[in-house]
Amino acid sequence: MWQVLKSVLAAFFGVQKDQQRKKDFEEGRPTAFIIVGLLMALVLVVGIFLLATTAAE
Amino acid sequence: MRNLAGVVAAIGGSVWLTRSALADGWNMPLGVTDVSRDIHGLHMTIFWICVVIGIVVFGVMFYSLFRYRRSKGAKSAHFHENTTVEVVWTAIPLLILVGMALPATATLKEMYDAEDADLDVMVTGQQWRWHYEYLGEDVSFISNMSTPRDQIDGAAAKGENYLLEVDQPLVLPVDRKVRFLLTSDDVVHSWWVPDLAVKQDAIPGFVNENWVRIEEPGTYRGQCTELCGRNHGFMPVVVEAVPPEEFDTWLAERKQAAAREASGVDREWGMDELMTRGQKVYESVCASCHQVDGSGNPPVFPALANNPALMEERDRHIATVINGVSGAPMPAFSSTLSPVEIAAVVTYERNAWGNETGDIVQPSEIQSQLE
Repeated sequence: MWQVLKSVLAAFFGVQKDQQRKKDFEEGRPTAFIIVGLLMALVLVVGIFLLATTAAE
Repeated sequence: MRNLAGVVAAIGGSVWLTRSALADGWNMPLGVTDVSRDIHGLHMTIFWICVVIGIVVFGVMFYSLFRYRRSKGAKSAHFHENTTVEVVWTAIPLLILVGMALPATATLKEMYDAEDADLDVMVTGQQWRWHYEYLGEDVSFISNMSTPRDQIDGAAAKGENYLLEVDQPLVLPVDRKVRFLLTSDDVVHSWWVPDLAVKQDAIPGFVNENWVRIEEPGTYRGQCTELCGRNHGFMPVVVEAVPPEEFDTWLAERKQAAAREASGVDREWGMDELMTRGQKVYESVCASCHQVDGSGNPPVFPALANNPALMEERDRHIATVINGVSGAPMPAFSSTLSPVEIAAVVTYERNAWGNETGDIVQPSEIQSQLE
């Protein structure tokens, strides 16, 4: 699970180690990446929303 | 070592050239409001960040091109990935962008805070003039460009404020918060005064907000900055900022004039005074499309001189000036001209340029139609 989260965050940042990428393709399940990806997108949106509302006060 | 000295001299020279160009008025103005100074500060900060980035990026590039050239036996490296370098060149731009976004957002927040204004001014764009209304004060007027035609045609020497001068400037008080409500009667215009750092679209059916607190009395000039048709370049903005007491006196005088104008509705007007007044209104408001001699610019702007439909249908003529023509450039003048002005201009159009219908339209008649 930690491995999936790390890869999703790397994808958000846009930089990934080649060796990690290979490992993901050999061992990982696509559904895990999709679910964690959607969750993290939600976290990002809510995070920006909270940051913007606190800054606006 | 001589190379390095050359590079330093080149960079120093460019910076010096840039600075003198900025000082010579090539740059955006510092302006006369808090917000305009903030915007200028942001602009300069971001400009110098870009200069530094440009020097570093191109410096590294040109140094590498020169130092590792093939004639000196350089061999290209073959590698596929370098995570550290990739992280660095992603993180640095991210930090720079966030660093620029923070002050920019603070300024934007200030710009959009149009609350608690001391004075509200409605700014309405029309093809091709600005209409100003001091809300709640019963004072409103049209501001037309006053540059003479022969300067535009090249028949006379151009004046100092060529295309940036008007018959009646927008008068505003200094040290008071003035809120602008911007809209348009026809197409999209944009009200721009660089020294006030205001550039706001005026869109039909929308009301946009902006505000200023001018700190120095003076004359500030600007232009329409949204392409709005043939005379887009001929609808300048002139703001006259005066001390608050002077502004109060000016506003009181304008209010009295407006009251006198309103009382003109109650009396009978003679042909001569309507024609004189009508000609003034016509030349200020109608002539930009229908031409001074009433010949128009068909098919978009019909001729008024020797126009049989106009001469026969008096009521339709009045209704057209009051309500405008839907789907055509003719605006409704009920909100921008007074009953006296409408009566005068209709009388003028019905009797000028050989139209000689002999019709007199009384301001009281227009007043009853407006109610």
